[in-house]
Amino acid sequence: MKIKLWGVRGSIPCPGADTVEFGGNTSSLELRFGERLVIIDAGSGIRPLGDYLMRHDLPKGPIKTELFISHTHWDHIMGFPFFTPIFIPGTKLSIYGPVTYEEEGLDRIIGDQLTYRYFPVKRSELAAELKFFPLRESTMDLGDGIRLTTKYLNHPILCLGYRFEHEGKVFCTSFDHEPFRNVFPTNPDDPNYDRTAAEEGERVAAEENEKILQFYQGCDLLIHDSQYTRKEYLDSRLGWGHTSYEDAINAAHKAEVKRLVLFHHDPLRTDRQLRDFEQTFREQIAGKTKLEIWIAREGMEFEL
Amino acid sequence: MESQSGVAAIRSYIDKMPSLPTTVSKILEICNDPNTSPADLNRVISLDPVLMGKVMKLINSAYYGITQEVTSLVRAIIMLGINTVKNLALSTAVLGNLGSQKDFKALNMEGFWRHSLCVGVTSKLIAKKRKINPMILEEYFMSGLLHDLGKIPLNNVVSDRYLKAMSICDKQHVTLYKAEREAAALDHCDVGRYIMETWKLGAEVTDAVAFHHTAEGYGGASKDIVFTVTMANYFANTFEIGFAGDRYPEKPDETVFKFLGVTLDYLEEIADTVSNEIEKARVFLKTGD
Repeated sequence: MKIKLWGVRGSIPCPGADTVEFGGNTSSLELRFGERLVIIDAGSGIRPLGDYLMRHDLPKGPIKTELFISHTHWDHIMGFPFFTPIFIPGTKLSIYGPVTYEEEGLDRIIGDQLTYRYFPVKRSELAAELKFFPLRESTMDLGDGIRLTTKYLNHPILCLGYRFEHEGKVFCTSFDHEPFRNVFPTNPDDPNYDRTAAEEGERVAAEENEKILQFYQGCDLLIHDSQYTRKEYLDSRLGWGHTSYEDAINAAHKAEVKRLVLFHHDPLRTDRQLRDFEQTFREQIAGKTKLEIWIAREGMEFEL
Repeated sequence: MESQSGVAAIRSYIDKMPSLPTTVSKILEICNDPNTSPADLNRVISLDPVLMGKVMKLINSAYYGITQEVTSLVRAIIMLGINTVKNLALSTAVLGNLGSQKDFKALNMEGFWRHSLCVGVTSKLIAKKRKINPMILEEYFMSGLLHDLGKIPLNNVVSDRYLKAMSICDKQHVTLYKAEREAAALDHCDVGRYIMETWKLGAEVTDAVAFHHTAEGYGGASKDIVFTVTMANYFANTFEIGFAGDRYPEKPDETVFKFLGVTLDYLEEIADTVSNEIEKARVFLKTGD
């Protein structure tokens, strides 16, 4: 299994002098199982990935791939209209992702970016064959010995983490995700305090976090949301659906993950800050865990 | 004389309708409040064990496909988020109060629900198109969904007279509410108004239910919602999405079209969207059994 990172940023693309090293494109990953291609997320990083596929894959034959969307927030789908293979006759693209019931279907949510008000080409004019499949929490056999497990994460809309298993190796994604927490007041002086809800909320949050750890358990590579520092998170970002570096590292350590890539950088994060974080966190965990950590950089590659 | 006793029977039926009006109006209030806390939501749903059961059943339905059973509302709120649970509760609270097939005599339940959902969904779409405050869109949905609710007591309590009303429709080619007046001395708008008042669903929803066949004479403060539901009902009847007994609907007065800025072309355009929305909303019907 080979993994390449084409977009590592959260929220919105942020080109500029401060993001040259780590990259400014939003979420998109390339997975290879031999020649078989799987893509995760269609953030702005899918544009350069598409250009690469045009050069590298298309000369060998039509592009046939599966795109798994973590969730439909804009930073994870905005690159789709700029993914050049969709304009090429013969391309076959199956698109999977979670859909909350009150929303439109995936075809509308993702495909309707290709309407004249947003883009000069309409979806009905595309040459490629696109198929959309709503995805739930489940386990699927993708063929070629690839097994995929999906897990609902904690984000303001339905959002799936993906766990790919192939030839004894495991690769896991967890974005966008915030650790589950008790949203019910636990202080008996709070006018909304309800002892049953407070106690149950504590237990449920702990159990759900445990399920997340089981989902990561023993994986060779985990790419994990880390939009904030712990201080930023606790000061003003509770409930925004993202994890702090510290919580991501702790979760990966507890789940005996081998390699952790910290991903979905806040748009304000500069190259210098990210370099400093990488060094600081590596120093902090040195000798305490077998876990290896990286801060995600555009273009980074891993082989499992 | 006979009509009078019919009215009394209908009133008595409505008073005993398996509704929990406090919960429904409280849910509506909470769902329209963006600042609702998880504790508020938990409390209001927990007040009503039947609603609670239905919400839990829905959460555990194949729709979400969660691999393990969600056994408590607290867990559901933590896992799925407050917005999802709010929407489930709202729809369940409303739809849960409306009887099952065995209660339906002259009307066909499936057709009635499809029609009601269609009017709810269409009312919301028209309101969106007209840039109505998004905070009150659920009221448009609710008004559309409930606009024909008055037919249920008529159908169940004075079913002989209701069958007669339908046969008047067929023979004389008149719209159903006029036939109801002839056969039962009151129509589904009158009965609907009484239900809305009993359930305390608020003046806007009540007016929409009471005036959806007589909008041109409406002089109250809720013209937007009354006209919208009138138009959505006309759409559902004309495009025959579902069927709630009105085989010869009257076209709304031109003033309604003008006020809303809606054309027949627009109604035609949204037909596919409405059908898709109905399919999605139908998941809730499965909780009613």
